[in-house]
Parts: sequence; structure tokens; C-alpha cells
Amino acid sequence: MKGRTRKITQLVILIGIVLLGGYAVGTTLFASDEKPKVGGRPPAFENVADIEGNLHSLADYAGRPVIINFWGTFCPPCVAEMPAIERQYQKYKDQGLVVLAINLSEDDITVRDFLKRFDLSFTILRDKNRMIERKYALRSYPTTFFIGRDGRITDIDTGGMSDEEIERYILKLLET
Amino acid sequence: MFENTKCECGHQNPPDTTLCESCGKPLGGEALTEGPLEMRYDGVARRSQKANPNLLDRIWSFFSSVKVAVVLIVITLIAATLGTIYPQENAFINFDPSWYEENYGLAGKIYYKLGLSRTYESWWFITLLVMIGASLVICSLDRVVPLYKALNKQQVRKHIQFLTRQRVTYAAELEGDDAEWTRKLAAELRKKRFRVTAEESALLAEKHRFSRWGPYINHVGLIIFLLAVLARAIPGWQMDEYVGVREGETVQIPETNYYVKNLDFEVDYYTDDELPERLKGTLRPKRFVTKAELYVCEANCGSTALEPVLRKVKEHDILVNDPLEYKGLKLFQFDYDTTPQLKAIHPVLVDLKSGETYGPFELSIMEPEPEYELGPYRLKLITRFLDFTVNANGEPSNLSSQPNAPAFLFLIEGPDLPEGGETFFYFPIPTDRERFGQDVINGELAERFDFRVTDMAHVEFLGDISYLNVRVDRALPFVFIGAFISLIGLVMGFYWQHRRVWLRIDGGRLTLGAHTNKNWYGLRSEVAAVLRAAGLEADPKSLDNGGKKR
Repeated sequence: MKGRTRKITQLVILIGIVLLGGYAVGTTLFASDEKPKVGGRPPAFENVADIEGNLHSLADYAGRPVIINFWGTFCPPCVAEMPAIERQYQKYKDQGLVVLAINLSEDDITVRDFLKRFDLSFTILRDKNRMIERKYALRSYPTTFFIGRDGRITDIDTGGMSDEEIERYILKLLET
Repeated sequence: MFENTKCECGHQNPPDTTLCESCGKPLGGEALTEGPLEMRYDGVARRSQKANPNLLDRIWSFFSSVKVAVVLIVITLIAATLGTIYPQENAFINFDPSWYEENYGLAGKIYYKLGLSRTYESWWFITLLVMIGASLVICSLDRVVPLYKALNKQQVRKHIQFLTRQRVTYAAELEGDDAEWTRKLAAELRKKRFRVTAEESALLAEKHRFSRWGPYINHVGLIIFLLAVLARAIPGWQMDEYVGVREGETVQIPETNYYVKNLDFEVDYYTDDELPERLKGTLRPKRFVTKAELYVCEANCGSTALEPVLRKVKEHDILVNDPLEYKGLKLFQFDYDTTPQLKAIHPVLVDLKSGETYGPFELSIMEPEPEYELGPYRLKLITRFLDFTVNANGEPSNLSSQPNAPAFLFLIEGPDLPEGGETFFYFPIPTDRERFGQDVINGELAERFDFRVTDMAHVEFLGDISYLNVRVDRALPFVFIGAFISLIGLVMGFYWQHRRVWLRIDGGRLTLGAHTNKNWYGLRSEVAAVLRAAGLEADPKSLDNGGKKR
């Protein structure tokens, strides 16, 4: 093989290795991004029903500060923080704040009866068969995601939150 | 600097050639040494050996080095060993990062922090594999191409030095015609199944050249193997998930467009006659089977609110080691749960005072009606709990979203009851009734009313849950193909040897040189046998010209 052809073969092989190897290494580097992280984007969800049966998608709230809270009636700290979330929502809803409280795949009666006991004005969404929960890779309840206007997660809180904590997160959100 | 690389036979060799490509005369450094020649790759220059290397050449020659390859393999081996110290993260269905510290203390914490808990998916481990792959490809190409060329255009008449400096040599004075001797020796060599190329007074006899390609075929197999392993990173090429499906339910398989329906689950247990003494009286499953249907979703897939549009593509009775298979997707029987859970009960309302009973009526656990009319009485459902508990504030609430301890709170209206009715708590499971003190909660009303389920025919249970392991491994056939090719290469290289015999007769003087890539003992006795058959005195040992013993 003369110099020129040899050089081209070498180049083709090296480029092939770089492409294939780059892809293999690249996928391992970005594979861990499946779990939502602070600074990353929250997993999208489409057409999730609220209590009245209206459908909501996360994309509907693009450009607005959003709080996504996962809760269940069987989880005492989830229940305990509900009134605090409501108070903070009332305080900041005029500034565009959206609260999507996603129930952890409980049945109709449980959710409806639970909500009768509370006066909640923010949006309650119904997960089914833990589909959204799984997308968000939840490990414990409650877990709350704070999403800025730029669509990036500013904070993730696990465990119950007090008024002060929620407000601190919200103020950070509104700055985005 | 230009090196004069022209051989005395007139052949122009590339730089760093150690044996003239044409006549085999030792060149350069090799000419200054004594004893047997370095015959690797027939003395041709490797492709990476260049006079003025640029960056491309340097990268190429880095990967073409066998030393580098050995170092890479050793590092990879050490890394792979580290990954086996503690279980890897992917061994857990629900992974909890604190597990390592809880189980192995500080060492576990460090192990997790270093990322060794995901060794085999880590970028650096994959980088090592990619580098080994690059080294395999380049090392092989760098050697196989020149070797192929060298073996493909071999000169029959070799330089005297080339022959006398082989590890197997022979020289003798012959009586008679040079050409006649050449023909005679050629005939003897052919009897030994050598392929002989003869000239007037020189010949080259060769056999089993293909065994030289063994290592390269082995490498091709390894490269396919490696590519297949790396291909598992391609989305959809590998999956290992678990789904639990209750009888009668249809569940989406995570991260796919498939849904699986459990039509029926059956488990047979061993009878006591079939069990050894110590296991008698225990439930030992003998055979469990899920009658399953696989659907592909065509719209509203993965929606929480809209019904998915499904099309059935396959049905199969899934047994252990007999999975449902569809387009590379395999559903294996993994586990089951036959713990009974209530679906519905058909109780009667008993008026304890009069002994009168009303009903039975169907009370569904998951979807009860808001109202039931029973004789003169009306039951209004206030609320229902699936897994009843009393929380820290003393309020009734749920412990989970599973129907482990259902409880109904009714408002009973009817004759002899106050305006607006009275509340009545009902726990359908008898042990819950005791545990939560139904009669105490209901107070006086407990002496007037009760719900009774007359027999088990009035109890409906939810179906069993079958746990299926969902696997996709599209890389596996390629792993096997790669391994098979690699084996073919190994067999070629191990069980045959490339043997060559050169000889020339110059005015009655015979000079012979022979070379093999392994089993020198065999070569010497074969050459000696040929010489003896031609009437020449030769002892296998006397042909030995020294060199490394193999």
C-alpha cells in the first residue's frame, strides 16, 4: 500500500474508533441524567388528569415557576405540609406561581375524601400505576421539585416542609 | 535522515526492514548480530514504523504496540476485579445509595463515592474497553497486512545468510546434478504434504500457512464481541425490568410501548407424598404458569388519564424458563404473590333486635357505590379506607395505597334512627374488626346493627400477582458470534503450524533453512525424514542451530 492510501486507511480507522468509542463513552456519561437533578430539566408528562378530569401537561406551564409535589394520604408528612403549601401558594400565585401536587396513584374515593378535609386551591393531579412517580425516580415521600421559569430544577426537597422552607424555595424560584 | 534501504539483490525495502523482503538477507541491526534470525513477521517493517512520524502516526504507533495492549489489558483486569468487591448497583431492583455504608461501613462509603459501585457502566471502564478495541484493530492491521504481503510474494531463492541463520539449518556437499537433487527433494517434501515452488536449483516448501491467520481471526472475533458489549448502551438494546401483574389486569412494561395482560395465574404445589420428611406440610411450588397476552400500544401510551389503544401481538403460557418472546423482548416467570386481598364482599345487614336480615348486597372494596338501599334502611358511604390506621393526631387515615385493611364509614338512615342518620364503621376483615375495635367505635349502634358475611361464597378475592422479568438483549447473538469466530481463530493458531523449508544448491553444495512458528521439534524431525528419504545423512538434533527453545 502506498503512502497516500495507507494514510487514508489509518485516518478512516481512527475516525471510526473515535466515533464508536465516543458514542459508547458518551452514553455512559449522560446515562445518569435520567434522574432529575438540580440544574437539570424535569421529566415531561402529558395529559394527566386533575380532580375534575381536566388534562394537564407540564409543557402547559412553560415559562412559569412551578412546584411539583408528590403526596399520598398514607404519608403523614405529605399531609402535614399541605396547608403550608396552600398558604404559600396564596401568597405568590399572583406572581405566576404554579403548584402541581401529584397524588401517588391512589384511588378515587381516597383522594376525593381526603381533599374534602382540606381547602386546597392549587392543582391536584392523579398519577396512575406510579408512571410519573417512576419517571421522577422517587425514593421517599414527600418529594418536591422546584422548577424555575427557565425550565430548570432549582431545588429538590425530600421530607415535609415548613412555611419558611417553602417560602425560601419560592423566592429563589421567582428570581429565575 | 535518509537511510539506504536498498538490498544487494536490488530490492528497495521500507525503513526498519530487518530481513530483505525479497532475498531475506539480514539488514540493518539484524545484519550485525549473529545466530538465528528474528523471523517475526518475516522481518518486514510494521506499518507504524515510519521515518518521520506525524501526530496521526504517533497515535497509530501507540495503539500498535503490544506492550501498550498488555498494559491496557492488565489495567482493565484490575479495574474489573475492583468491581467485584461489593455488589454492583444494578443488582438492586430498588437501589438505595446509603446501602453501601450501612453494610460495609466506611469502606462501603468510599467504594460508592469512588463510583466503583457502577464500575462496568463507568465512563473510564468503557474508555478502557474502547482503547483495548482500538489496540486490537490497530495491532492486528499493523501486522497482518505486511505479513500477508510478505507471505504472498515469497522469493524462492534466498540469501545464503538467510538460510544458515535459520534455527533449523543443514548443509552438505552433493554428488550429481543440482537440478536432479532439487527435483528429488521437492518430491520428498510433497510426500510430506508441503506445497513446493521449485526453481532450477532452489525451492521453497510450505504448509499450513493458514494457521498464521489464526490470531487475527481470533482478534476479529474479539472485536465483534467487544462491539456487541458496547452496543448494549444503544437505547432498546438491553433491558432488565420487573413488572407485577395481577390476574385480569393489563400493565405497561416500563420504558416500552408494550403492555402485558395476566389472563390467569396458576400455581401447583407438591403434595406431602412428594415431599421429603422435613418439608411435609409446607407449601412448595411445583409449577407456576401465567397465561399472558402481549399488546403493543398504538395511542395514548403511558397516559395516566387516557385509555391506551392496544393491539394484541402475542399470547403465551409463561413458565419458568419458557418465556413469552416477541421481537427480542422476553417475559420470564420470576415470582408470584398469592396473598389473598379482598375484591368485594356480599354482606347482609342484620337488625340485631329483630333478627331481620337485609341483603346481601355487593360491596366492592375499590369502587363502592355511594348509596345502598337495604329494606327500610339506606346506607350512605361517607368514606372508605384501604389500609386503615389511626395516625399520630388520632385521625383515621391510610397506611398505604394497597387494600390491606379496608374500612367503610357509613351513614345509616331509617326507622328508629335519629334524623340525619347515625355513623357506622365496618371492617370487612374479621381480624381488623378486632384490632381496631369496631364495636367500641360504633358504640350503642353496635348493639343494633351488624354486617355479616354468611359464607365464603360471598367473598371475592383479587387475583394473584405474577411477577415477570422483562429482558431484552439484542447484543447476545453478536456476543456468541464473536466468541465463536474467536474460537475458530484459536483452533487455527493452536493446532496447526506454519512450516517452511528453503533450500538452494550452488554447484553441488546444498544449503537448507527451515522455519516454523511453533513446534520446532516436529519441524526438525520432518526435515530430517525428508533428507533421509532423499538419501542424505541427517539427525534431527544436528539440524538444531540454537535459538530459543520452544
